[in-house]
Amino acid sequence: MLITRRLEFSASYRDRKGATHGHNWELEVTLSGPVDAETGMVIDLKDLKEVMEREVEARFDHRSLNDDTPYFRERAPTPEGFAELIFGLLDAALPKGVLHRIRLSPTDDVTIEVQR
Amino acid sequence: MTRVIRRYAFSAAHVLARPDWDEARNRAVYGKCANPSGHGHNYRIELTLEGTSDAGEAVDAIVGERVLGELHDRFLNQDVRDFERVVPTAENIARYIWDTLRVAVAPARLACVRLVETSNNSVEYFGSEPTP
Repeated sequence: MLITRRLEFSASYRDRKGATHGHNWELEVTLSGPVDAETGMVIDLKDLKEVMEREVEARFDHRSLNDDTPYFRERAPTPEGFAELIFGLLDAALPKGVLHRIRLSPTDDVTIEVQR
Repeated sequence: MTRVIRRYAFSAAHVLARPDWDEARNRAVYGKCANPSGHGHNYRIELTLEGTSDAGEAVDAIVGERVLGELHDRFLNQDVRDFERVVPTAENIARYIWDTLRVAVAPARLACVRLVETSNNSVEYFGSEPTP
């Protein structure tokens, strides 16, 4: 069973050419696991929501990825690099092996998918 | 491989609570979803079907009768026999839909049941098949 929770946040970044981009990012986080026989749930969605708020929203919402976070000092942000960073942060914070896939959409027309 | 995705919708009320647990334990596990009065969702179903051509109308009729007819505008815990003892979480509703349709949609093969509970959460069930 896959279970997916969605989060929107706003963040800006400067690309390697110096152009500044701002987006309402849409993030879909998908976990994979068996349905717990006692609760009927893969995971308590409240727990997943807390992890997503702590690891993603608190770090990036209404921030500049270049100036307000420590992750893009050496290299300019790209949506692909940002998605891989988010996958790593969530994977480290969630129970081992449950993170299946994230989808990160900077706009309605573009989606980056990172799958284990 | 050609796959067909067909979408449906129904609205239903539910409570997330086990009848064999007391209210305090249900509140601890299911939070506000355990409110005994129930709450409702506008659910969306996405069925992924394989091995079918031109089976759309037949599948629509089966889904209409066996799924939407059973679940739409119902209080799942009280009105649907399968959920008298099984907590109607999104996960368990997706399995109910899978179990109801898997054989009935033949010769089409059901590959995935996706159940969207709110704009912020959904589940996908692939039966006994390995998760892709």
